[in-house]
Amino acid sequence: MGLPALDTRYLFFTGKGGVGKTSLSCATGIALAESGKRVLVVSTDPASNLDEVLGVTLSSTPTPIPEVAGLFALNIDPEVSARDYRERMVSPYRGVLPPAAIQSMEEQFSGACTVEIAAFDEFSALIGHPEKTRDFDHVVFDTAPTGHTLRLLSLPSAWNGFIESSTSGASCLGPLAGLEKQRALYAATVAQLADARQTSVVLVSRADLSALREAERASRELGALGILNQVLVVNGLFQAGTSADAIANAMARRMEEALAAMPEILATLPRFETPFMPKGMVGIAALRALSEPDSGSPAPDAISAPPDLPGFNRLVNDLEKAGHGVIMTMGKGGVGKTTIAAAIATELAQRGHSVLLSTTDPAAHVAATIESPVEGLSVSRIDPAAEVEKYRQEVLEKTANSLDANAMAMLEEDLRSPCTEEIAVFRAFAKTVEAGKRAFVVLDTAPTGHTILLLDAAEAYHREVMRMQGDMPDSVRRLLPRLRDTDFTRVIIVTLAEATPVHEAERLQNDLVRAGIKPYAWAINQSVLASGTHDPLLAERGQYEIPFIRKVAGELSPRCVLIPWLAEPPVGSKGLAQIAGAVA
Amino acid sequence: MKKLEIYEPAMCCSTGVCGVDVDTTLVQFAADLQWVAEQGVEVARYNLSQQPQAFAANQDVVKEMDAGMDRLPVVAVDGHIVSSGIYPSRSQLMQKLALMPETTAQTVAVPAIESACCKPNSGCC
Repeated sequence: MGLPALDTRYLFFTGKGGVGKTSLSCATGIALAESGKRVLVVSTDPASNLDEVLGVTLSSTPTPIPEVAGLFALNIDPEVSARDYRERMVSPYRGVLPPAAIQSMEEQFSGACTVEIAAFDEFSALIGHPEKTRDFDHVVFDTAPTGHTLRLLSLPSAWNGFIESSTSGASCLGPLAGLEKQRALYAATVAQLADARQTSVVLVSRADLSALREAERASRELGALGILNQVLVVNGLFQAGTSADAIANAMARRMEEALAAMPEILATLPRFETPFMPKGMVGIAALRALSEPDSGSPAPDAISAPPDLPGFNRLVNDLEKAGHGVIMTMGKGGVGKTTIAAAIATELAQRGHSVLLSTTDPAAHVAATIESPVEGLSVSRIDPAAEVEKYRQEVLEKTANSLDANAMAMLEEDLRSPCTEEIAVFRAFAKTVEAGKRAFVVLDTAPTGHTILLLDAAEAYHREVMRMQGDMPDSVRRLLPRLRDTDFTRVIIVTLAEATPVHEAERLQNDLVRAGIKPYAWAINQSVLASGTHDPLLAERGQYEIPFIRKVAGELSPRCVLIPWLAEPPVGSKGLAQIAGAVA
Repeated sequence: MKKLEIYEPAMCCSTGVCGVDVDTTLVQFAADLQWVAEQGVEVARYNLSQQPQAFAANQDVVKEMDAGMDRLPVVAVDGHIVSSGIYPSRSQLMQKLALMPETTAQTVAVPAIESACCKPNSGCC
């Protein structure tokens, strides 16, 4: 076990939220500094807690870390950069253009894309201006630009929109308008990333399929752009000790199985493993422990009981009362939306209700798992890949002969954006929701608040401006008011009792509230605390969950259930029944 | 040389693929503008979020927006507003620019029904 020993000047860490990018980039920075190098650790992740992790108040200029000679850090919040940028673009026109115009302009600069571009702008500023990092031997970034952003930035047509006589119109990089002078800089940055002598990309993952899939996707996308100097770090690898209990053994086994099933493209990369750390990685001492495993922690004296929260059955009781309607589980990838949705659906069906479970789970996993048909339960699938492809074909058919090569390239890239997948899935999802008038419909997916606002605005535009219905299917038009009706739709936010997942779930909730949808409940899934384990390491992890559980139950959710980590995977009717039967 | 200027609402994708449905009108319009440019017309397309200075510089356009944001897109030929609130079809553009149709040009029908897409006030992208 250990951290990769990388010696390129630039190191980028990438991976889904919560896998440990910040911890590992700091640990790597410390190791390099302690080998005599001068290192700058940079965070451009709005969710990052670099200040907390290093125990030093940071700013957007390099700050020395007192405990580690040669280590410096800087923290850039791209949301602040995006806001500043938005203000810069809009403020000259306040009072000059009508307020409605100003508002419209502001909204264009308020999306996730703008934040992504702002983050990339910051990267480029650092990489493209070597004099800013002249004092350092290494610059370590705890996030990396997505493949989508990098591809868009390399399309010539993306930049044409800013030349006066262009006919290609707006681009998804609209927010780049004020950054046009940066074009050469961006091209240089992308080239830098692809230069294996200068840059390494560290794909950070956990030993679970969801994180590995995400790493695989990143690896492929970056590779396609010529960024080939990649390594894989599997973080949080748990190995059961000799006196392990059932939970510990099951956890270790599950991780082994995930690694054995690793996607091939990842299996060929140089791989490193870092150990399971029961507590969050905060403070230099904790980070040093990542590179020096086997420090051994004493067993905690007392294992506190989990906070007293209602069980899963209580939640289903409440959900049952309406007799019909839509239940949606929402959350970031890997938290267990599908599992919770399936558990709710089977429980409702077993109580005699008519239930349609619709899932976006790939490979019909859920449909297969409910082997013996449960009376009253039918399962359908929304395959995101198929929906996107269907939508893509539809679009390309409509536009086949009307665009030149450049415009076509632009359209194709627009079709690869995350927005498109959301829209395609949303359309399928809207059709499914119709059934909620008569039965229970349980979905393991939901549009984000952002998508809802987008569609709402489109709908309003049609109603008021176009005075015609347009091509929007009825199911979609009716969907929006239904989603906001808490008697018809109940949203359950699923999360884990860890820092980043709770943070991300909170943002999801805020986004929904902005769109007029108030979540009904939160489910904290895979709780080690509630699992009943006596393994010392896992028990310690359980203790660490308590403040997060308290935060969710006390501050963030109107009602909250705690679902334990289960030794037997909650797959299949029997597996799922554990959730209803488990006492939290 | 004639000048055609289009003042468009804030949008983040010219094709509207990030909306509920791709806006064939927008896609067609892009192609039509391309054709118009090939006929020797100077074409300039201004997006509210990307070239606000062009809007601010044209008082007639500002007046249109004061009357309502739904007046966008505003189309101007040689500085004079010729239409507002719709994306003109190729034949409408030809008419306003007094262009002769190519003998081989296809008559393009603008779809009567518009689909929703990245329209004003949609916070897409």
